[in-house]
Amino acid sequence: MMHWFHRTVGRGQRLAAYAADELPPADRARAEADLLACPACRREVEAYRLVSGTLRTSERAVLAPDQAAAFWSGVERRIQRGATPTRPARPALRELFWDHPRLSLASAVAAVVLVLGLTLGQMGVWTVRPPGAPNGVEVVSVEAGEDASVMVFQAPGSSLKVIWVFEKPSS
Amino acid sequence: MGGPGGPPREPEDDRDLVDRARRGDREAFATLVRRHQDRAFNLAYQMVRNREDALDISQEAFARAYTSLPAFKGEASFTTWMHRIVVNLAIDNLRRRRRSGTTAYDDTRAAPQGGDAEPAAPDNPATILERKQVHALLARGIAQLPPAQRAVLVLREIEGLSYEEISRAVGCTLGTVMSRLFYARRKLQQVLRAHLGDLR
Ligand SMILES: [Zn+2]
Repeated sequence: MMHWFHRTVGRGQRLAAYAADELPPADRARAEADLLACPACRREVEAYRLVSGTLRTSERAVLAPDQAAAFWSGVERRIQRGATPTRPARPALRELFWDHPRLSLASAVAAVVLVLGLTLGQMGVWTVRPPGAPNGVEVVSVEAGEDASVMVFQAPGSSLKVIWVFEKPSS
Repeated sequence: MGGPGGPPREPEDDRDLVDRARRGDREAFATLVRRHQDRAFNLAYQMVRNREDALDISQEAFARAYTSLPAFKGEASFTTWMHRIVVNLAIDNLRRRRRSGTTAYDDTRAAPQGGDAEPAAPDNPATILERKQVHALLARGIAQLPPAQRAVLVLREIEGLSYEEISRAVGCTLGTVMSRLFYARRKLQQVLRAHLGDLR
């Protein structure tokens, strides 16, 4: 029936969080209303519950007694050998697309256009700034890691967000 | 969850031990390791599902923590910091295995326990069979998740961390935590329903 319409990210996310008991009361009431109206959504919540319930009761892995006893000496050996200092895991480009599923080829092209505009704008060649706007492109957020940085840009007056990944070449 | 804006909860003396270790007290660091080794090992195991790799990752994580002590500012708890190092190493391990085509979940048959298995709850055989089946299906589903999604799922569902703690441990925004968690849960939910049909 209308269940295909329920499978949007917002509603699905609410149901998944509802099944895991993570919703604040107001959202919980909304999710319960959704559930009353749709048997397919109810079955989905049951499956979500089974996922969370099973994972939450899964067995913990325990070191065997000899492994526990020798654990520190193993660490010490590595320290003496010279462990590499920690570095953040490099976000794989493919996984960034996972996190931002709406990021498509179209927005990747838009990113090139936007960033090119920004660069040219800075060089005084050309500007994407709409009349009256203080800035051509606004940087919404920057996350910098040691070997990659992620910047999110947005043009004022536009809902389009552009995610730009700078990956430093690995040595 | 801790107080709003307050420092993450942590046993007082963890901080103390970190300070001493930073000043070169190797024995203080050994105490920290003994205190946290089980948790680090379990987290690594839940990520890579292989005892040998989990042992390797958790020991390496502590060695790296020691080497990086000068950079540890103490704005996060030692636990959060260790979560972060273990998760990063586990993600690297999974990506390497993916690239080399090795299966990620290779010991679904083995019990995670090193010693004696805990006595199972008294259930009827049908329920036990069903639960085993669900566990196996979920293990297969988890193996298909991108490593970063797997990390968020494990930290939330198995380690029981709050969204805030996960975002600190993984080093991403709350929004990213929420979307990774949603896609991971949805994937597993779909796997279960595809195999078990609609659950009663
Ligand atoms: Zn529905």
